[in-house]
Amino acid sequence: MSIILKPGQGLIYMKVGTHAQESLDAIIARKTREIEQAGFALWGYGGSTCHPQTMVQPFVRSFEQRGQIIYLCMQPMESSHFAEPIRAEEYSVDDVDWQPIPPAISVLGSRYALAIRQLRREEFDLPLAKTKVALGNSMGSNGDRYISGRVDKACLEITDEIDAPLVVDPKVHIGLVAEIVKPYAVYVRNAPPKSKEHG
Amino acid sequence: MVLQSELVARWADSKKLAFIGDGDAISVCVAYLQKREILNYGPSEIVVFDFDERICGAVTRFADRERLTQLRAKLYNCLDAFPGPLNFDCFYTNPPWGASNEGESVKVFVQRGMEATSYQGEGMVVIADDIDLEWPKRVLANVQQFIIASGFFVQRMMPQLHRYHLDDAPDLRSCNLLIKALPGNKASGTSLVISDSARLAHFYGRDNPPRVHYIRERKRLDYGMAHDDEYSLELLE
Repeated sequence: MSIILKPGQGLIYMKVGTHAQESLDAIIARKTREIEQAGFALWGYGGSTCHPQTMVQPFVRSFEQRGQIIYLCMQPMESSHFAEPIRAEEYSVDDVDWQPIPPAISVLGSRYALAIRQLRREEFDLPLAKTKVALGNSMGSNGDRYISGRVDKACLEITDEIDAPLVVDPKVHIGLVAEIVKPYAVYVRNAPPKSKEHG
Repeated sequence: MVLQSELVARWADSKKLAFIGDGDAISVCVAYLQKREILNYGPSEIVVFDFDERICGAVTRFADRERLTQLRAKLYNCLDAFPGPLNFDCFYTNPPWGASNEGESVKVFVQRGMEATSYQGEGMVVIADDIDLEWPKRVLANVQQFIIASGFFVQRMMPQLHRYHLDDAPDLRSCNLLIKALPGNKASGTSLVISDSARLAHFYGRDNPPRVHYIRERKRLDYGMAHDDEYSLELLE
């Protein structure tokens, strides 16, 4: 199903490229296999603009309550990312209770991950100026102004101006989309902390 | 931080100052600037109340190492009744800014600060203040109404004074809101636990009520050294 941009639609925007020394094409192939095998994949990322617990989970939950599906809309770009490709072994929805990550799924070099399915290449222009940040400390900020500098991902809502033509209408080109599924976003870690035994 | 610390030192000169939370370590800066005689004024006593034992431990260790006799810390969660003492002259707080709860989380921290002064002192509240965004204006209005309803008044506001390195809000600014108790003001009752679920539902952001009572520090003998699970030694042949 193609994404229709309409007022009130929520979406997660993210710039994507090489991650943990793995090319985007290789990541897409690997995540597609994970979805086939496990029913969903975990898409690793970092940074607090889409923090699992304070941003993504309440954002997706609130839009699901309105009957919406939230899509991850990704803008491919050239990038380098030299993080060590260390596989996360556990995930948690609340940073308290941890579960093993299913063997079919590998999250590499990330602190957080989005739960996704229906990963596919889909091309369209997203007018960021006609979006606003949906929650958090920048709630209400214009999406175009927010996505600048070091900010490369955000929980956005399409505004009422989506149907109005603008003279200057900066757009980003989306090339990859996925559907966000429960538990929406999680913390990941490579190993549980070890407590020392003392004699 | 230096400018803010100097301001706090001047504002609270020779007074007993309570920090209701202090993730920014302004308390430490204020005490240290005075100890090093960079400032020749500052609070007579500083107590940091924080629910993070790592912060309390760091404040205590720094105060001990640098002989900052006027600085100490106490583990305290602001949802609990304020433990006292209640004879502080003033309080300082930089609370969660309440974007998702119309400032309710700010009010909780401010309430504890007022209690620390027995509703008779002064306070400095660091709170979001942004030209473009709507929510900080609503929060500022609600907090000011709360302050007035508590028998305080806004003495001074220093608008859009600070900016933080927040990933999710790189341009967001905050102000200092300086408040003072009206003459003869009194507490309406004793300090109580805050457990009203409606008040706490969005305390740390939308659908994020408080879950943690205390952040406990894992005690180590080799504090200040790199943790030994961060490295391994490869010995010479």
